[in-house]
Amino acid sequence: MTDVATHRRTGAPRVGESAPRPDGVAKVQGRFAFSSDLFAENLLWGQTIRSPHAHARIIDIDIREALSLPGVHAVLTADDVPGELHYGLEHQDQPVLAADVVRYFGEPVALVAADHPETARRAAAAVVVSYEPLTPLVDSALAAQADPIHPDGNVLRTLTIRHGDLDATAAVVVEGTYEVGMQDQAFMGPESGMALPSADGGVELFVSTQWLHADRRQVAGCLGLPEDMVRITLAGVGGAFGAREDLSLHVHLCLLSQHTGRPVKMVYRRPESFVGHVHRHPARMWYRHHADTDGTLVKVEARLLLDGGAYASSSLAVIANATCFAAGPYRVPHADIEGTVVRTNNPPCGAMRGFGAVQSCFAHEAQMDKLAAALALDPVELRRRNALATGDTLVTGQVITGAAPVAEVIDACASHPLPDLAAVDEQPMMHRPGGAGRTADAHHVRRATGFALGFKNLLFSEGFDDYSSAVCRLENGAVTITCACAEVGQGFVTLAQQIAREELGIDEIVLAPAETATVGSAGSTSASRQSWMSGGAVQAACRAVRGRVLQQVARRRGVALDGLVLRDGIIESLDGSVRVDLADAVDGPIEETAEYHHRPTQPLDENGQGDAHVSFAFAAHRAVVDVDPELGLVRVHDMTTAQDVGRVLNPLQAIGQIEGGTAQGVGLAVMEELIVEDGIIKNRSFTDYLIPTTLDMPTVRIAALIEEPEPDAPFGAKGIGEPPTISSTPAIVAALRAATGLELTRVPVRPQDIALPRS
Amino acid sequence: MIPVAFEYERAESAEQAKALLAEHGDEAKLLAGGHSLIPLMKYRLAAPAVIVDIGRLSDLSYIRDEGEQLHIGALTRHRDVETDALVIGQVPLLAAATSEVGDPQVRHRGTIGGSIAHGDPASDIPSALLALRATMVIDGPGGVREVASDDFFTGFLETAIGDDELLTEIRVPKVPDAGWSFQKFNRRAQDWAIVGASIVVDNGSCGVGLVNMDSRPIRAGAVEAAVNNGASAADAAAAAADGCSPSGDLNASVEYRQHLARVLTRRGLEEAGR
Repeated sequence: MTDVATHRRTGAPRVGESAPRPDGVAKVQGRFAFSSDLFAENLLWGQTIRSPHAHARIIDIDIREALSLPGVHAVLTADDVPGELHYGLEHQDQPVLAADVVRYFGEPVALVAADHPETARRAAAAVVVSYEPLTPLVDSALAAQADPIHPDGNVLRTLTIRHGDLDATAAVVVEGTYEVGMQDQAFMGPESGMALPSADGGVELFVSTQWLHADRRQVAGCLGLPEDMVRITLAGVGGAFGAREDLSLHVHLCLLSQHTGRPVKMVYRRPESFVGHVHRHPARMWYRHHADTDGTLVKVEARLLLDGGAYASSSLAVIANATCFAAGPYRVPHADIEGTVVRTNNPPCGAMRGFGAVQSCFAHEAQMDKLAAALALDPVELRRRNALATGDTLVTGQVITGAAPVAEVIDACASHPLPDLAAVDEQPMMHRPGGAGRTADAHHVRRATGFALGFKNLLFSEGFDDYSSAVCRLENGAVTITCACAEVGQGFVTLAQQIAREELGIDEIVLAPAETATVGSAGSTSASRQSWMSGGAVQAACRAVRGRVLQQVARRRGVALDGLVLRDGIIESLDGSVRVDLADAVDGPIEETAEYHHRPTQPLDENGQGDAHVSFAFAAHRAVVDVDPELGLVRVHDMTTAQDVGRVLNPLQAIGQIEGGTAQGVGLAVMEELIVEDGIIKNRSFTDYLIPTTLDMPTVRIAALIEEPEPDAPFGAKGIGEPPTISSTPAIVAALRAATGLELTRVPVRPQDIALPRS
Repeated sequence: MIPVAFEYERAESAEQAKALLAEHGDEAKLLAGGHSLIPLMKYRLAAPAVIVDIGRLSDLSYIRDEGEQLHIGALTRHRDVETDALVIGQVPLLAAATSEVGDPQVRHRGTIGGSIAHGDPASDIPSALLALRATMVIDGPGGVREVASDDFFTGFLETAIGDDELLTEIRVPKVPDAGWSFQKFNRRAQDWAIVGASIVVDNGSCGVGLVNMDSRPIRAGAVEAAVNNGASAADAAAAAADGCSPSGDLNASVEYRQHLARVLTRRGLEEAGR
């Protein structure tokens, strides 16, 4: 072995270490430029005119008065869209601007550009849109039979899984019906961006987004421009969680900029943001579980109905996830599961962290607890007996070939010591239900625990090739990585540097801006996929550069290529005849581009069978709650979790993902819901849309990060962003059920659901 | 939301504040700590053309022992009220209620006068002042007058303070030996109360003030009467929602608010030693 001391390793963190975020200090100090901070000389401000109706026919749009206002430079309607009139991630059904009919509250109808944001708002108010209100379709259960709100009908997709013997049954049968309300991603940075005309007649767009190249395809189509005339650069993103996967103001900004020949900026305010992006699908779910007396699962029947709202967004993939993972991470030999997603005049729903698996996990975990009660079995033991393992078959017929340490996840979480909580009457007032409100007296409080297990797929499924691309350039001893992976807070900017250091041994790694003109698609920052996919592309590009460097040195020094190694920035030959610094090893720059593809998957057949998924990740949560049942007050004290991660690439970021994902699960369990009445969102503010504060958040304790390397994945690492959001919600509700004896079949659980359960 | 545009005037004395109010009439609003008015303006429940900033009138920030009463200057900040030894010793209910207004930042800016001058039914302090039978001192062109707390809150976001008048002082009876309780229910930490109750029981005489149970801060008169007639806490509290007209909203239905009022009042009476 070479003496390590001879290497010049300086300590910049590599793979497996807690590298700090390169943008972290700037974000904490308020110096990070978010997309709302963009500025250009000669800037105009855009404003969107939106429908006040959930469903209406547009009779007339009168823009004359608005256009006559001083300072107003453009008022645009659907007639001004030069290219495709509709866009969509998977299904092109969403109008850039509504033309004849509006299908949801807040749907964009017209646009204004003016020289001042207040002028733009006044002009928007001066646009007169005449509507003939129509009865909105707001009940997802009626959608299939109702008059179609789109020419191609209201049922977006029905997926049927028939697996094994559909007539099978067993000694114990439990049945239940469950509901999940509409959660919002509630990112802090509202939608914002800026478009500038470019000299070639194209457009330059700076925007916060999750997938630059999918945006470009849709924007170019709507503008009637070739894709290379639309250049998109990622602007500073203030959170995403799925809500930035669809277009929002992208085409609107470009239309206004193309029309006026000037830079145009738009920033949504909070109430507009709540109607400006898709939400988590509300779900209604019926389940029937069949099990032997020893707890062995025999059959799962389920019917899932998701409300997709007015437009398709990513509903087709969300329902696939909800349905494919409806039985949970358990061995289920027989399954009869049907999932349907429909269109209604409710707000459009699409991607949100957990993506379909969140909804069905709430139901299947409630069922598992119900089954355990019917069998008089410990709920954790029931899960252990049925836990999936590598080599097992899913209800989709797919055999799990990768890592599936489900039993390890269960055991690590369940056996972790309970938190050292003071007895209820000994803990500070602030730690009781109500916290600062001081309403729960010790003798009113009941404490209980709940356990839940969840899983979902990593990367895109059903035959989709969601590749990623990266460029690695070595010049004068410095490395630049170019990748269009959208940094939305998940930490790719940190990880890309760690990977490049690991592969090339150079500390200083420059990460070029994420944009469409310089590199191919990185795919979406979603589906817990970027560490794997863009991490894989960066790794491959770095390895290609390393290969060329070693080739040059071998050729020049007359040594065998396979006798050379690159470590910590030094190229050495095994025989000791060569020892050269990477910075001095080559003449001129070396640049390599890599495209990384995961192994192909297949579509599901008519029985929902097929190898549709690349990989799976598993997580468990145990919740400890205090409840004051008379008031309905809840305090979530402790969330202990274990997660299957393959390999930890950055412990600090892994913990951050798990804490953040758990927080969103706490929110769905007890607080977060968009209240929609007759298609209209009533709580479009952070005063009324409740997100847990630091005082409401429990302590999150990580019992274990289970590191069983995933064979296919770069470094063996699985994505970790979504699993914490899946099992956290059902664990809390299980604890609430244990504390109150109530069924609590719907989330979020409101105080009055506990205090007045029949109201 | 962003408030409607307004003119800004800063008063250097109470006299100048009154003069500015006289000049601008009902176009003007007084700004003290800004923690009631600014939210009202952001919701556009208030849209004054002129803001008269009285935040620097330090002569209205005091807590004095005046025999049977404490006199508290209207511009005394919540933080000073909740930590004041006199208040803690003589009117502990007021100290407790004040300590649960918003969060520490809010309490370092917001003032006792500001939090009652708008008559906001969701504010905590009015319930305590109603339960304690406090008196408000109002200064205006017609001179200085005293208004009992029962007559002070006149409607939704309306009080007895005239457009040209200034709330200068709050007079609170000392009740050092009384049983008391402050109950505040919120779903998320540090939010406005969904329902709250201030309770004081002194020598068999009971005061109960409720938060968010009507369009204005109110007393639960039926509960007080029942307690004064010797009813148990449970029996008395059953009347907590009688005569109240709470609104139902996204956080709580009418029925749930009524339930909360009864439970919080019962617990409060129990804690107050009833």
